[in-house]
Amino acid sequence: MPSASFKDELLAEIRNLRAFAISLSGSVSLADDLVQESLLRAWSNSEKFQPGTSLRAWLFTILRNIYYSNYRKRAREVQDSDGLYARRLTVPGDQESHLDLEDFRHALTKLPAEQREVLTLIGASGLSYEEAAVVCQVGIGTIKSRLSRARAKLVELLELDDASDSPVERKVRRAGALLD
Amino acid sequence: MDNPTKKSDALDIAAPDPKAVEAIGRALEAHYASLVQAPLPDKFVELLARLERDRASRTQGSEDAFG
Repeated sequence: MPSASFKDELLAEIRNLRAFAISLSGSVSLADDLVQESLLRAWSNSEKFQPGTSLRAWLFTILRNIYYSNYRKRAREVQDSDGLYARRLTVPGDQESHLDLEDFRHALTKLPAEQREVLTLIGASGLSYEEAAVVCQVGIGTIKSRLSRARAKLVELLELDDASDSPVERKVRRAGALLD
Repeated sequence: MDNPTKKSDALDIAAPDPKAVEAIGRALEAHYASLVQAPLPDKFVELLARLERDRASRTQGSEDAFG
């Protein structure tokens, strides 16, 4: 039987759980259904959660299982997250290698789902490699491989090899600074 | 010019420019933050409150539950 603090711990994870669900399904309405179902399942299976481990990773695992068993086909038909993104298209732009967020989101959609998922879990949700491996039900080597491939693909899609510094500088560096 | 030992620890993919990886990391965080901060429907908080009330009434069934 869930304790009162378990409820508070679930409350604290809802926003992250929903963000993961939106990333996974590409749809806010599907994400909300997924979160609802995941919370219900987490509540009724609370005795299976091991205290001391990551509640976030446990919830993500539940949600991901529900998604792949029941929602994946629907997700391809309903892609309604554009409206959500449209509200916040700009990032604080004080970085030297500033990336347009809209370009980035477009590039994300070009990644295979399994790579996008790992990139999100490690790079944004704050899961460790070990936790991501549990969530995705693969080995840590596979997690690292997917992460590397995701980054390499994004670098390619966003042409970051060219944007990270000027083409002239790169040429000069490659030539060992011997070229004019 | 390529250094054959400069590889990521995963399979045979060459490690991208650290600056590029950093830029991707920042964009990813900004993207995800916008999802985390998006307006949250009330129904999730209401659902947990309802589950909690059901649990309390089922396990206690008397007023000393709040003692």
